[in-house]
Amino acid sequence: MHIPDGFIPIAQCLIYYVILVVALYFSVKWAKSNLDEKRIPLLAVLAAGIFAIMSMNMPIPFGTSGHMVGGALVAIVFLAPEAAVLVFTVVLLIQALIFGDGGITALGANVLNMAIIGGFVGLYTFKTLQGIIGKYPAAGVAAWLATVLAALACAIEMGIAGTFPINIGIPSMVLYHFFIGIIEAVLTVIVLVALDKFRPDLLAWNTEGDA
Amino acid sequence: MDQKDKYLIIVAVVICIIICCLSPYIASGDPDGLEKSAEDSGLAEDFSIEEIKGIPDAIFPDYAFANDPDNQALQIVALIIGAIVTLGLGYIVASVVRSRN
Repeated sequence: MHIPDGFIPIAQCLIYYVILVVALYFSVKWAKSNLDEKRIPLLAVLAAGIFAIMSMNMPIPFGTSGHMVGGALVAIVFLAPEAAVLVFTVVLLIQALIFGDGGITALGANVLNMAIIGGFVGLYTFKTLQGIIGKYPAAGVAAWLATVLAALACAIEMGIAGTFPINIGIPSMVLYHFFIGIIEAVLTVIVLVALDKFRPDLLAWNTEGDA
Repeated sequence: MDQKDKYLIIVAVVICIIICCLSPYIASGDPDGLEKSAEDSGLAEDFSIEEIKGIPDAIFPDYAFANDPDNQALQIVALIIGAIVTLGLGYIVASVVRSRN
């Protein structure tokens, strides 16, 4: 889902950068009130883990492949999409600058899709469903939906950019990410189960009353 | 940092290294969802909607060493460097913005 340089005109990239700056402002504000010292290593290891798992493309039907993204996971772990914005700004910046994966000019759009849309959709789907179907099924559905809606947003951005038309982009992106979302759901639940078993003190749903 | 957090970082680094060691061998080389959608639309591989100048070359393009891109051992090295740099930058960013209360 990493949009490369050249897929979005510079003028539109600037708009996505403005969204990134605004998102970072609110994320830093959130961190200054909520990110206690105990969760600094957690945020760092989630960033490193997401970097690593993004290298592991898994085959899906139609001769394509996909990897876990992790926006919903970070947002659910911290019960805050702001945490996803911080993690993904770090991960996507390093991937763009050092590895040429995802464009430097497209950084704002990539953070919008994977962290802002992925994080918000993931967290609020989780919060809506967890009382109905339980927290792990809710996290799985949330991660799947976050992937599909982030892909839908990406297809719309490609349409606005004029890179490829919406009538081809939306069905293609949604179809492929329907399957990629299943990978996302399974891995998100595995990481949450592992954290809940070994470090339940780090999961915000165990320490905050509003989960 | 207490013992439990050191343990968390060690376990995470070990998991990252395992993933980085496996990726060059088992990750699918098929195009990802966005690349495939671009293909479906008939876009050329080097498509660019407008010329963008001044983009610096990546140090490890496509998670490999530029002078030996097919060397899987070097791809592992590039990935591990990336994971460690991400861990470090993540830690620095989190430390700078954390709550002081």
